[in-house]
Amino acid sequence: MKQTCTRYTLEDISRFIDNELPRDQQAALAKHCVHCPDCTHMIELCNSISNKFTNHFDQLSLTVDPSIIEQKFEQKFEQIQTLEKSWKKSWKNLFGFSGRYSYLKLVSIIAIAMIGLYTFQGKFFDPSGPSAIVKYVDTDFASVMIIETHKERHTIIWFSET
Amino acid sequence: MVQFKKTIMKTTFMLIVFFCFCLFTHQLAFAKNQVITDVKVIHASTGPDHVDPGLKGNISELRSVFKYTSYRLIKDQRMKLNFNQKGRVILPGKRTLVVMPSDMDGKRIRYLINIQKNNHPVFKTQVLLKNNSSITIGGPQFKNGTLLFSISGSLQ
Repeated sequence: MKQTCTRYTLEDISRFIDNELPRDQQAALAKHCVHCPDCTHMIELCNSISNKFTNHFDQLSLTVDPSIIEQKFEQKFEQIQTLEKSWKKSWKNLFGFSGRYSYLKLVSIIAIAMIGLYTFQGKFFDPSGPSAIVKYVDTDFASVMIIETHKERHTIIWFSET
Repeated sequence: MVQFKKTIMKTTFMLIVFFCFCLFTHQLAFAKNQVITDVKVIHASTGPDHVDPGLKGNISELRSVFKYTSYRLIKDQRMKLNFNQKGRVILPGKRTLVVMPSDMDGKRIRYLINIQKNNHPVFKTQVLLKNNSSITIGGPQFKNGTLLFSISGSLQ
């Protein structure tokens, strides 16, 4: 596409065709085209390209059935919705009690709790206080001491034979 | 196939329930009526610093109370006693220690402890020992030191 007239650029001509130039410029270019065959030729060339492109696009759009597009869109939308639902369901099943094997989950939790209780029963339910409570001491010796250690509350009975 | 799956699920469920039941009733079904009684006879003295390897767990508490520097294990006797069954431990110096778990008082084991010298009771006590715990009885003189008896009991 050679342009010998240097007054207007290809971009100006393109904008002229699309009516994008300011009014005065639009009018000036139209006036110029009366006397300039180069620019007129360029305008005709651009117009023909634009027309060809528009025609081709129209033909293409006519070959596509809009109902098919609509159908495809609906299918995609349904797919997204089912995917979302399945995610929500699996998430619920993972942490909740809903789902097919809810009773198994419940029993498993009870079993775990019981194992825990059984394992730690001794530690949780051990009586507090000293290691031994002395109920009575009977001895021939006068000196008897009952000591409880500070740290572990270990009971010591001390008697002197002398 | 679906029926088979259901049967498997039901069996698993029943097994879990049975397992839980067994676990829960374990203590009742197999009532703990035996007491593992361990008597350690220790010779404590002010000799060269020494603690027998078998005593390392028990000695730290005794060291906080006694002035002794040497702790030697003379005897370690482990007995499986039923309630009201006497266990005898021969001690140095013609002494005998008789221990008898009599019953349970709450979570504690009631022990009757008797020390005899020349077949005459010299010391008698009744203690309520915490399960898996121990008591130390000391005082009898022996070889420039003292005898300590560490008595521990655990229900089984």
